[in-house]
This record gives sequence, structure tokens and C-alpha cells, in this order.
Amino acid sequence: MELLIANLAHGFGVALSFENLLFALLGCVIGTAIGVLPGIGPVATISLLLPITFGMSATTAIIMLAGIFYGAQYGGSTTAILLNLPGEVSSVVTTLEGYKMARRGRAGAALATAAIGSFFAGTVSTIIVAASGPLLTQVALSFGPADYFSLMLLGLIISAVLAQGSVVKAIGMVVLGVALGLVGTDVQTGQQRFTFGIPELSDGIGFVPVAMGMFGIAEIILNLERPESRSILSAKVGSLFLTKEEWKRATPSVLRGTALGSLLGILPGGGASLAAFGSYMMERKISKYRHEFGTGAIEGVAGPEAANNAAAQTSFIPLLTLGIPANAVMALMVGALIIQGIQPGPRMVEAQPDLFWGLIASMWVGNLMLLVINLPMIGVWVKLLQVPYKYLYPSILIFCSIGVYSLNNNVFDIYMTLMFGVFGYLCNKLRLEAAPMLIGFVLGPMMEEHLRRAMLLSRGDPYVFIDWNTRPISTTLLAISAIALGSMLLPSIRKGKDKALAE
Amino acid sequence: MKLNTKNLISGGLLVLIAVVGLWLNQDHNLGTARRMGPGYMPMLTFWLLAGLGALVVVGALFNGPDPLDDWTKLEILAVPFALVAGFVVFFIARSVGFVGWYPLGFGLLGACLAISVAPGWRPIGLVHAGMAVFGLMLDQFGLMISIVCAVVVATLAEPTHRPKGVLGLVIFLCVLCWWVFIRELDIRVPVWPVFLTQ
Repeated sequence: MELLIANLAHGFGVALSFENLLFALLGCVIGTAIGVLPGIGPVATISLLLPITFGMSATTAIIMLAGIFYGAQYGGSTTAILLNLPGEVSSVVTTLEGYKMARRGRAGAALATAAIGSFFAGTVSTIIVAASGPLLTQVALSFGPADYFSLMLLGLIISAVLAQGSVVKAIGMVVLGVALGLVGTDVQTGQQRFTFGIPELSDGIGFVPVAMGMFGIAEIILNLERPESRSILSAKVGSLFLTKEEWKRATPSVLRGTALGSLLGILPGGGASLAAFGSYMMERKISKYRHEFGTGAIEGVAGPEAANNAAAQTSFIPLLTLGIPANAVMALMVGALIIQGIQPGPRMVEAQPDLFWGLIASMWVGNLMLLVINLPMIGVWVKLLQVPYKYLYPSILIFCSIGVYSLNNNVFDIYMTLMFGVFGYLCNKLRLEAAPMLIGFVLGPMMEEHLRRAMLLSRGDPYVFIDWNTRPISTTLLAISAIALGSMLLPSIRKGKDKALAE
Repeated sequence: MKLNTKNLISGGLLVLIAVVGLWLNQDHNLGTARRMGPGYMPMLTFWLLAGLGALVVVGALFNGPDPLDDWTKLEILAVPFALVAGFVVFFIARSVGFVGWYPLGFGLLGACLAISVAPGWRPIGLVHAGMAVFGLMLDQFGLMISIVCAVVVATLAEPTHRPKGVLGLVIFLCVLCWWVFIRELDIRVPVWPVFLTQ
């Protein structure tokens, strides 16, 4: 326990340095801004800013990128409440009750609830991340290559299973991602694979062009195809203070939302949106005031907002402790870490205590910053929304192009991003999910390494993965993967998932 | 039989990639399970991909209906037109003497512009054309000119753009990019045309 406090103290020392504070603030502000703006989300923004993180220390880079991620959750709620316009997928639920509250003149209360609930959830989930780090690291240190492989496989399978739409197609995308990751020089033999003699590909397909192309550029095209329809009805903000009754009603929802969100965030493929929806469903079922849902029940704002913030933070846990990305944003973080020369995995907590504890402390600081800057700055965010998308998308395009060029000073990267932009658009039209592909792309090379090592150690015996006596962890993980896959075959579970995701 | 067009194409695409991958993997040494050669993992991966793709195709025969949006005749014709145009421009650029990545850039630009003939393809065609323009111009013409040209091309994708708006946007982006990328981040890229500063 004292060790935890000592570590946290060390973390705060790192997080409160001028540079880290500045970049945390920058991340939070950018995050809120893109959370407010529909059509650009944390995935696209983080991939845009990845090249910039080269010049920073790894800790500062991750602090800023993390700020963007959970900042976006805050920003999305603002427009959801005021304009019935969810800036982020996870804010869709907030529009249901939040906008209704705004119409009743309680917009300020809704905003304050969202902000305070998110802050509370952020604080609790920060502690959870801090506690789980050393704990999970202990477990993971006993991992052999077979266990790593099975863990990564589990991560891939769950992210495919929880993706929208067809599970088979999602797994196909995961495998495609793995295949793309194979391009480049084979580490063990030094042979070039699938590079067509192109020197730029000898290190593999760049992570940034793939991410930017499939998530940034493709998103732009899709947004351009949809005609904009902005509701000009903006609700007045009103008082920001909650009545005593509202406090009483919101508190249990915040607690429940925090618990649910913390849990769902850790699940690969889970994430903030799932947590927000889950919390809304839960509140609707068990809240004392559920008859008020649909007319502006504060529980419908408090619960989901707490949940999505908690999930955003706990989704860092698999990344920081095991090196497994839980969702597309975390896959980008893996990319950012690898760019910095850090190998994510269980040893990272030991090897990079500044990064781990500094990030955790900074998450809390960031939450505080968001609480403070969001409420007063609401007017600014609303003004930001007035900017028509037709001015935004060329800006995004230019930043993308310059950013990706700055990686290697090579226009080849721009062309790669272009081609992945087209591919991303194609995938979207065919209902092929891009996020599983990105996760497969990131994990593929690592999985190959572990597979090779495991087979080498077992002298070519594949039984090692399911040998209960020597490798119980691997067996268990593979069993869970099989169960997850199998459950999708049952139509009832599949329908339930589709229903939940469709709403 | 309820045909699911999207899944049919998706599965077909996956199978196609798998087949190409396996074909490209022929030269790589497979090795044994114990000592995997460079070709082992690709083999596993592409076979798995082929299998999954086949599953999707089979399922697509009964999953439907999930048709693609209707394409106009022009949109259908524009696709092979763009592919042909892209290759033609690529080879012309090469034979004219462009080296390095210029032929690729020109080819991509040609394909993107060709597909924009159909209004339905303009968003995807012109935004990517803007990117191609940027890539083509950056090394020789510098950042500022590249931004101008790329933005002009990209704004053609949105029919509600007005010349004054585009001009304002261009100026704003040039200033912003200069401040963020040149002054603050100091990235190595020519700001003004190379032939002017020599």
C-alpha cells in the first residue's frame, strides 16, 4: 500500500513538470475540441498527431495522446446536451436524456452532472489503473511465449467478436491486419518479405499511413458523402448548479456507471461507447426514477457519462500492463510507444516507471483540467461548432499529409496514406471493420515472434499451447477465446449483441 | 437464395488477397514447425484468410439481402476508366523521365481525377487527388504552394465552396501550417519553391 502511495507520489512528480502539464493541457483542449466537432474523433486525431510525438519524450507523448482520448469524451457530452448532436459515438446516449434536460431549462445541471460525474469516474478509474499495474505485472512475468501468444489471440478474438456486424468478417479483417504486418524484413532471418524491392517497405508498412488513411482520410470522405444537417436550435445554458434532489439522484448513477465503465473498459473491444450504452440500459432498468426516462432524467446523463470516462481510462490497463491494445485508440498508443522505441508489455511498468506512474498521475490531473476548463469554456465550444465541415476537411487533409511526410521526409508515405484512404473507404462500404484490422496489424508481428519462440522451445510441438500441466495460462486463455467465438454462434447471444450495438 | 452482395464482395476480396499472398509467398522458405522460416507465418495467415473469405462468400449466398447502393452508369464506367487512366499516366510519366516516386504520384493523381468524372465519386476522387497533388509538389515547389494547390483541388469535392471561402481557407492554412510545422516543430521541408531559393 505504501508502495502504491510512493509510486503515485513519484508519478505526480513527473506529471506536474511544466512540460507534462503543458502537453496534458494541450491534449485535453484538443481532445475536447474534437469531441465537440462531429466528423473527427480521437482515433483520427491521435493518428494525425503521432508524427509530432517523435520529438517528445515518450512520457510526454503518451500524456498528450491520452489527454486527447479522454478529453474527447468530455467534449462529446457538451454538444450532446446543448445541441442534441453527439460529437462522439459514446455521447449518443447523453443526447437522449441530456438534450431533454436542456429543453426543460436544466442544461447547466446536465453539463455539470456530466463533468462532475466524469471527474469522479476519472479519479476512481485512475486508482484502479494504478493498483492493477503492479498486480497484473506480477502475473504477466510468469508468462512464457505460448502464454503471450494465447493472450494476444484472445485480445484479437474479443475485439473481433465485439465489433459491429459479422464476426467472421471481423476476424477476416484481423487476419488481414496480421498479413499486412508481415510486410517487411523478417526479424529472424533478415529476408525481405512482400516488399517488391521497395526500400521504403523494408521496415514494413508504416503504422501511421495505415492508421491515418483508414481512420482519418476515409472518415473525411464518408462525412462528405453525408449531407450536413445541423440543428440550429441551441438550448440556453442556465444555471450550472444542481439542486439537492438532483445530487441525490445522480450520485448512485455515477457510482454504478463508474463501476460498469471500469469493468467494460478493460475488455478488449469494449471501450467508452459500450460502457455508455451499458450504463444507460442499466439505469433504465434499475433506477428508481425510470419512469422519467425520455423526458430528461438526470440518471441518464450521470451514469453514461461516468461510465464512458471510466472506460476510457481503464482501457489503458491491458496496454500498460500486458501490452495488448483494448481498442483502436490503444492500438495507436502501441504504435506511438514503438515509435519511441519502447516495447509495450509486462516489463514496461518496471522498465519505464516514469511513463507508467506519470501517465496515471497525469490522467487525474487531466480530468481536473477538463472539469475546470470545460464548464466556463462552453461558449467557445459552441462557437467552434459553427464552423462548417467544408472548412475542416481540407485542414485535416493538409495536416495528415504534412504529418505523414514528416515521418521520413518521403512523399511515398503520403501516397501510402492515400491508398489506405481508398482502402478504408472501400472497407466501410463493404461493412468490413477497420479497427480489428489495425489491432491485428499491431499485434501480428509480435504474435509471430512469440509463436516462433514457443515452437522452438517445444521443438515443434503445437500441443504446448493447450498443455494444462505446463502452460495452464495459455490453456485458459485459449479456452476463453473458444468460448467467446462459440457464443457468437448462438443466435440469441448474437442478436443481443447486435441489438445493443445498434442502439 | 438471398444474396448478400456486400458480403459476397468482401469475402471475394479477402480470398483474392489471400491467393495473391500465397502466390507471393512461394519463394519464401517455409522451414519446419520447429524452426519457422520466413514463409511459415505468411502461409498460415493467408490460408486462414482464404478460409475465412470462403466462409463469408458461402454465407453471403444466404445472408442477404444487403445490396450495394445503386450505381449510376457513369459511376460504373468511371472505375475501369480510372484504373486504365492511372496506369497510362504512370507509364507515360516513367517514359518521359520522371524518377523516384513521381510516376506513382502521377498515376494516382490520374486515377483520382479520372474517377471524379462521375459526380458520385467526387468526394473520394478529389480529396485523394488533393493529397496526390500535395505529394507531387512538395519536394520541388515547397510547402506553401503545395498547400494552395492541394486545398484548391480538395475543395472541388464540396460543391458549396465559394472562391472567397477557399481563398480565406488557403491563407488560414498556410499561416497555421507555417506556424505549427515550420516555426514550432521545425520539420525539414522546403517552404518555398526550390528553384526560387537557389
